[in-house]
Amino acid sequence: MRLNTIFFTAPSSKSARRPQREPIPFQMLLPLKLKKGVSGKGDKLKEAACMQEMAVMFACFKKAEFDQAQCLKEVSSFQTCFNEYNQRFKLQREQGKKGVLVPGEKELTHRQLNKLLKSFPPSQ
Amino acid sequence: MSNIAHKIGPLAKCVLQNSRLNLWSTLTQYRFYPRPTSFPDYFQNPIFRKEDQAKLIENNELARIAAVPVKPPASYETSSVYHDPLVSKLINHVMKMGNKKLARNLVEKSFENIKRIQIERYHLASTPEEKAKIILDPKDILYKAIENSKPLLQLLPIKRGGITYQVPGPITDKRSLFLAIKWLLEATNDKERTVHFPEQFAWELLDAANNTGKVVKRKQDLHRQCEANRAYAHYRWQ
Repeated sequence: MRLNTIFFTAPSSKSARRPQREPIPFQMLLPLKLKKGVSGKGDKLKEAACMQEMAVMFACFKKAEFDQAQCLKEVSSFQTCFNEYNQRFKLQREQGKKGVLVPGEKELTHRQLNKLLKSFPPSQ
Repeated sequence: MSNIAHKIGPLAKCVLQNSRLNLWSTLTQYRFYPRPTSFPDYFQNPIFRKEDQAKLIENNELARIAAVPVKPPASYETSSVYHDPLVSKLINHVMKMGNKKLARNLVEKSFENIKRIQIERYHLASTPEEKAKIILDPKDILYKAIENSKPLLQLLPIKRGGITYQVPGPITDKRSLFLAIKWLLEATNDKERTVHFPEQFAWELLDAANNTGKVVKRKQDLHRQCEANRAYAHYRWQ
């Protein structure tokens, strides 16, 4: 019974579900060239800021039973870390928005890259 | 030598008023104009405090700004010595339905209550050391209370794999100030009907300035929860 069903429901040689036959013919679904620019998806900052400082602060809090006055050093280091991170983030965003090209820079943002690519368009 | 003294002079002042200066940077509020306004974009915000103006003169930026058109200052933006950005912020938080006169009265009345309570304590204190410890200025109490009730962390709901995690993370200055004021007012409004706002608010401020009371406990509870959820901190992305 079971064998029968396999026998009858298997894709025939005309069906689109049959296994492909070598050699597989090439079909050009998209033009074979790169796009003129790059997308900005990879440029997002993925690091979680100040994890180390936060862990140190939590350890101190636990020891001092959440009395902030005993952990002033840890708290201030955490806050300065976050402020610095914010400033860096802001600066990066501003520069990225402008897309200013700095000569000799290794790591480019997608906006900078797009600007660069636009100034040297591919020859047709 | 005089150069060093010149540098140390403002520094010593900074140390004295450190908590106030820290807050001032987050408190620069300007009059809100809903769009479209009668002022084009190039109109600058007014610089109405004498300290800010002195800073401009020191940096030789006054000449540049003097040539630019400036928006008129709002009625609360004054160079009076009684103007305090935190107090004006607090009044705006207390205000309901735009009734600023009442809000201001309530805040001033609670300052009066603080003053009365502290003076009573001052006269009850027997030794000069005890007397020196008591803060008599209600504004100092307010600044201290806000400083003590500002949270350092916040919990953000982040959805990962169909489950919403409460992820601890750092908090901006502006939001922590907002939360501190909000918590103080919520703690105040959680009172008996017969107790009036200024009375309760004075007590809440004194408690918070003393690092005790409902608001400080709420802040510590938040910190506790953040500590309990610290394993999720890796889920945070900026």
